[in-house]
Amino acid sequence: MGCEHLEGIQAKHVARCPARGRRDVRAPSCRRGDGLRTWRLKAAVHYTVGCLCEEVASDREIRFSKQTIAAISELTFRQCENFAKDLEMFARHAKRSTINTEDVKLLARRSNSLLKYITEKSEELAQFNSEQRAKKKKKLEEENQKPVEPAEAAAAKKDNSSL
Amino acid sequence: MEGTSGGFRKELVGKLLQLHFKDDKTKVSRDALRLVAELLKIFVVEAAIRSVRQAQAEDLALVDVDQLEKVLPQLLLDF
Repeated sequence: MGCEHLEGIQAKHVARCPARGRRDVRAPSCRRGDGLRTWRLKAAVHYTVGCLCEEVASDREIRFSKQTIAAISELTFRQCENFAKDLEMFARHAKRSTINTEDVKLLARRSNSLLKYITEKSEELAQFNSEQRAKKKKKLEEENQKPVEPAEAAAAKKDNSSL
Repeated sequence: MEGTSGGFRKELVGKLLQLHFKDDKTKVSRDALRLVAELLKIFVVEAAIRSVRQAQAEDLALVDVDQLEKVLPQLLLDF
C-alpha cells in the first residue's frame, strides 16, 4: 500500500503532474525547484490521504471532491514540516540528537483528547516492546540451560521457532 | 494499532520528517516514528470527519473545499 514511485500510484488518487501533460488536473502542487523527491513524497502522502478519506466517506455514504482530498493532502504535508521542526527542537532542547516518544507527546499537547490518545498509544508500544524483550530473554535462557546439544537437534529447534 | 485501516507507513513518515530537519544528525527513534505516523493518521481522519459533519450539517452529498475551509481553523488549533 502506498508506493513512493510514480508508477505505483493509482491514477484515481493522484492526477499527473502538470509538467507531464494534462493541465486540468488536481495534482499535488509542484513548484519548480522542489525536486522530484519532494513531489514523490507528496504523491505518497496524497495516496495515503486518499485511502483514509475513502474509508471515512464510504462509512457515511458521502463523497469527497478531488479538490478536497488534494487540499487535505497538501495540509498534511505542510503539517509534517511543523511537526519535524518542533520535534527536532524538542530533542535538541533536551540535548539529544534522537527524537523519542516524549518529544512526540509534547507535539500533541494542544488538545486534551489528542494527548490522552497519543499517551495511550505510547504506553501500548512500550508494553509491546517489553513483552518482545521478555520473550527473547526467555528464549535465550531456555537455549542456555540445555547444555551441549547435537547439531541436528539445535538446527531443527531453530527451524521450528518462527518469528 | 497499525494495519487496522489505512495509515502512514513508517518509511514514508521517516522521509517526510528528514526532509525538514535542519541538522543532519537528527534521527527519530522507532517508537517515535510509529507515534508520528499515528498522529498524522488522526490529523487526516479528523480533517475528513469534521468536513463530512460540516457537509452533513449543510445537507450536502458531496464534501467540497468550502466545508473543509470552515473546519480548518479549529482543526489547526487542535494540532
